[in-house]
Amino acid sequence: MKKPLAALILFYCLGIILGRLILINFWVIMFVGAVVFIVAGIFKENNYIFPVLVLFLTLLVGVGSLRNSYLLPGCHISKFVYYQDDSLYSLSGFVDSVMEVKSDHTEFIFRVREIQAKQLKWHCCGKILVKSGNTFELNYGDNLLLIGRLSRPYSFGMIGRSYKDFLARQGIYLVMSISDFRQIIRLPGNSGSNLIKFSFNLRARLEKIISRSFDGLSGGILAAMVLGQKRNVPWLVNNYMVRSGTVHILVVSGFNVGIVAFMVNLLFKIFRLPHKIRIILTIICLFIYCLITGSSNPVVRATVMGVIFLSAYLLKRDPDIYNSLSLAALFILAINPRQLFDIGFQLSFISVLAIVYLYPKLKCLIHLQDCKLKIVKFAAEGFLVSLSAWFGTFGIIAFNFHIVAPITVLANIFIVPLATVITLCGFTLVISGLLCPSLASLFSLPISLLINLLLSLNAAIIRIPFAYFYL
Amino acid sequence: MFNLTGEEKKVILFLLFLAFCGLALSNLIKINNRIEKLIYPQVQLAKVDLNKVDLEQLTELKCISAKLASRIIEYRNSIQKFSNLEELMDVRGVGKKNFQKIKALFFIE
Repeated sequence: MKKPLAALILFYCLGIILGRLILINFWVIMFVGAVVFIVAGIFKENNYIFPVLVLFLTLLVGVGSLRNSYLLPGCHISKFVYYQDDSLYSLSGFVDSVMEVKSDHTEFIFRVREIQAKQLKWHCCGKILVKSGNTFELNYGDNLLLIGRLSRPYSFGMIGRSYKDFLARQGIYLVMSISDFRQIIRLPGNSGSNLIKFSFNLRARLEKIISRSFDGLSGGILAAMVLGQKRNVPWLVNNYMVRSGTVHILVVSGFNVGIVAFMVNLLFKIFRLPHKIRIILTIICLFIYCLITGSSNPVVRATVMGVIFLSAYLLKRDPDIYNSLSLAALFILAINPRQLFDIGFQLSFISVLAIVYLYPKLKCLIHLQDCKLKIVKFAAEGFLVSLSAWFGTFGIIAFNFHIVAPITVLANIFIVPLATVITLCGFTLVISGLLCPSLASLFSLPISLLINLLLSLNAAIIRIPFAYFYL
Repeated sequence: MFNLTGEEKKVILFLLFLAFCGLALSNLIKINNRIEKLIYPQVQLAKVDLNKVDLEQLTELKCISAKLASRIIEYRNSIQKFSNLEELMDVRGVGKKNFQKIKALFFIE
């Protein structure tokens, strides 16, 4: 088997899907697994039966891990609250995220340690989402006592795609609404991880550099492209990008992780650091960048793949793209199997898989290697990469967003190179802003011009007849 | 003289190119104000002009229902044109909360 991890992850994913479709008791799965394990032990010398049994065992692990993920620990906060509960609760714990400013409210994730209701106090665990119409000055790690009512999120929408399911995938089952600042009492001390604290502080500093250098619109778009912070991207811009199929440039993905790895490596090279130390430091920087951008699925995927590729250079081994992609999927799904049903996860992995698989085949099909003109070759390569990604993802996009945008292929040929230059310049700006703030303001004008060009180009592209249609 | 590697030369050239572009644009803005329009993205690219938008465009904005869109157009026709965004709250169906949500979609020239 040339790509053992790819086969294993495929069966693990099939197991997760099976676990979703069929209601099987967890211990039945364990029993079947034990029997298959013993049979596999007996047939371990048989080259035909043994791999089949191993794949079947992987499938059972997938089913089991999904069923297990539905079970919450006994101390989980959601077990203390009834379905329609109007009681007033006091919760102590710490802020586990940064304050997210939405259009009409602010919200943050709160990790609970103790819950008190009607003079009774229990130790508990788990996270809740806190929503408020007011803005509070809260930072990651702040110890708080919250007083309020807890409710379960409503389950509007299709099963698996509702807001309730979206929160459940993040391990959140309860929401607290805060309307008065007196409902929040600060407790002494600070909790949380120092590394995450450092990452959030660094992100705040970088965001400040961007907001200092740009007006609202350009700054919002650059913050989304470089730091993955989409809150200042106007709804209409996002919608226009969805229509042209280029919204992926507003999300931090493998492309950004690649740029970070390239820039950091180059920076350390300039400082004449030895090869091994350079790679180790680049891996550390990738981890920090992953934390800064909020550890979304595409970033975790790209970070794991980046780490595998860099480690392969370190160990002088040839990295295999399918195995590294599988390991990245395994890394995410082992922590939370329900991420398989997340649209971001599906789009991220399927687009990479489609590019890796289809692009070389399409390239051979049109004999692109024989082309002598460099510009034609470059444009054709861009077209084929875009076409491969579109083939892979249009089904998921049509099913989830009810939009089909054939213009995507053409739009990406122009928008992606432009977005690459903007992202590269954006990283240059934030790094120069940290080292020499006056340089940042000088760099901001060409970036703003490029962003203007990108938005105008995108607006022109979606005006082409039959560029997109809603289903 | 500097004993630079190929990659270092590329980095330096890229930074210098970016700085030169910045300088040139900054100079052009000072000479001619209209250049500013070319550099900074216009509000039309991110928002809809509330006094010029038609019913079809308004309905296309998925966060506004077709019913509300027609009410906004009807109200605009009755008052000739909106003078500020807060007037949206006079439209039936646009409360304070709803206004906070949709105000980011529009601008008034």
